[in-house]
Amino acid sequence: MSLPAEKVDAVVVGSGAAGSAIAAKLAVGGKKVVILEAGPDRDNQSLISSAIWARRLKWSGAPVIEEGKNPIGHAFNAGYGVGGSAMHHYAVWPRLHAEDFRVRSLYDRARDWPVSYDDLRPYYDQVQHESGIAGDAEQEIWRPPGEPYPMRPVPLFAQGQIIARGFEKQGMNTAPLPLAVTTSNYNGRSVCIWDGWCDAGCPIGALANPVTTDLPIALGHGAVLQANATVTRILANDTGEYVTGVEFANGSGETDKLMADLVVLAAFTVQNPRLLLASATEKHPSGLANSSGIVGKFVMSHPAGLVYGLFNEKTHWHLGAFGGQLVNQDSYGKTTHARAGAFGSYQWMIAQAVKPNDLLGIATSRPDLFGNDLHAFMKNAAHGFASMTAVIEDLPVAENELTLDDKLDRFGTPLAKVTHNTHAESKALWQAALVEGQAVFKAAGAREVWTGPQASMHIMGGTIMGEDSANSVCNSYGQAHDISNLLIAGAGLFPTSGGVNPIFTIHALAARTSEHLLQNWRSIIQ
Amino acid sequence: MPQSRRTFIRNTGIGLLSYCVAGCEVELTPEQARQQKIPFHVLNPDEVRTLEALGETLLPGSAAAGLAHFIDHQLNASPQDQLLMIKYLGVSPPFSPFYSAGLAALNALANDQHGANYADLSSEQRTALVGQIAQANPDGWQGPPAPFFYFVIRNDAIDVVYGTKQGIESLGVPYMAHIEPPSRWGE
Repeated sequence: MSLPAEKVDAVVVGSGAAGSAIAAKLAVGGKKVVILEAGPDRDNQSLISSAIWARRLKWSGAPVIEEGKNPIGHAFNAGYGVGGSAMHHYAVWPRLHAEDFRVRSLYDRARDWPVSYDDLRPYYDQVQHESGIAGDAEQEIWRPPGEPYPMRPVPLFAQGQIIARGFEKQGMNTAPLPLAVTTSNYNGRSVCIWDGWCDAGCPIGALANPVTTDLPIALGHGAVLQANATVTRILANDTGEYVTGVEFANGSGETDKLMADLVVLAAFTVQNPRLLLASATEKHPSGLANSSGIVGKFVMSHPAGLVYGLFNEKTHWHLGAFGGQLVNQDSYGKTTHARAGAFGSYQWMIAQAVKPNDLLGIATSRPDLFGNDLHAFMKNAAHGFASMTAVIEDLPVAENELTLDDKLDRFGTPLAKVTHNTHAESKALWQAALVEGQAVFKAAGAREVWTGPQASMHIMGGTIMGEDSANSVCNSYGQAHDISNLLIAGAGLFPTSGGVNPIFTIHALAARTSEHLLQNWRSIIQ
Repeated sequence: MPQSRRTFIRNTGIGLLSYCVAGCEVELTPEQARQQKIPFHVLNPDEVRTLEALGETLLPGSAAAGLAHFIDHQLNASPQDQLLMIKYLGVSPPFSPFYSAGLAALNALANDQHGANYADLSSEQRTALVGQIAQANPDGWQGPPAPFFYFVIRNDAIDVVYGTKQGIESLGVPYMAHIEPPSRWGE
């Protein structure tokens, strides 16, 4: 379908989780929507079950220069192509806790969100029914209030049973991991067969990625999706009071423009601030929406706490979901590990389905081994390998920021440079989690236990929201404080990271924002 | 019994590389490409020899599995279509300079310590050098960070040995593909 020549109601930059969700709601609400996606088109039949082929889903756009001791791992965490990073996400959809929204008020650290859990709760409930989440709300004793999950929990395989034994012996709890994966036929979607190919995409539609959920709704209601369209600039009017559309490079590299009443910037955490900074005008000399000087600051990424073990029992590590089978949030209290100099929350994602190769594969868990020692390890691991991962809260730091580099991409847009050093209290929390995780594996009967290096998981911040326009980029709906018809979506809005996967909150915010847009359309676009 | 194309693809799992042989386009696994001595696009003969020797040290069997052809084929693809793990390890494309510089540095190290290229060293000497680069940059190392170079090539070797349908099944685990890798890399 060709792009409309005339002005549209909304142009959405990026077809990932946030962009697709908002596009779907706006299209259903009768708005004329165009989605511009920098990467190639994708459909379910292109999602090949291979850890090697799955790399096509990772970022392949303009390089991001990473600096600092703890790089954010942009190319691993970001996506490329229709569906964005959600096409390779692990479908772990926990809710943030009430205290995550009030870290400043309760703990005198970081910032409060301009929205509370109670504000978001109805949208969490709405989204979990729309997207489909499997879980057991009662067993999740840490879960904030909300409706039960619409699907029964994921099945427990040997690996999960074995590790759960360790948690139990340590006096700790486990519950089925809340996964946006089908355990029953759901809205016409097939049931998962637990083959662990989640991050290679899910061609049977069992996993709630945009190609399965929101994009068909958006397109079914008249939205137009244009792949290979790289937005290079957000256009503003002469007075700088509002945005008028976007400039983009099409698949042939030619520059084009699309005018719209509303611009929704949903190009993931790094590209959003990059585009804002690169769209500076005479009226906005430091970048659009940047009168506060906050655009690009407070970039966060969850440190991943990787724990591995070998068991004498057969673990059947290939079965289940890539995200895991069980969850533990016993250490979600912000001060649980205060004596270790730590602050913040974390959860364990337990008993992940893995593959032998790739960054999170079995062989990579022991990077010290090579030669016949590596073959011997793989043979042992084939019998009894097990793993779990802690999602560690990353405290926001202003110096963890995105700036523009002098180097340009092929369209003439400055490259993004992102510096990230983990806050000392977050680092201490990561270390405390690893101590706990090793104890759990030993209690479970592992004959060998080891840990992985600090890795970066999820990327948040950089376009944070807040009440005060002097120290935040946008309001709780993602509307830029400076320009009301410029909307920012995604995990870049998060003022703090919490200790859970961000995807469910991204969707809840998108649902709330969409409702706000449709109810206040005229005032917003004026 | 001749295999049907579908069966052939299903059995290889890793997917096939596409080559022009005697004017005809043929599809081969990396292993078959090596057996048929298919010419390389990016790597030169010295680099191939060093890479295969390094691969055998890192993971015996990786050279025969077509490590060099796999890497060469990917380096010749567009950045968007490349399937090497290096694409998300913080290295900006193109990636061929990374491989060339690393292999050259390894040969320089081998010559410095033993007076010969890496591929001409004994198995024990090769293992000892890999042990060095896995830990830190050896004195005088001129390539990309040595432990990172070790990590990248080691993972490439793991890809061709254990990242395939055959490799996974060699561990006694079913591959369980929804959609098996198609006829060529890079499509």
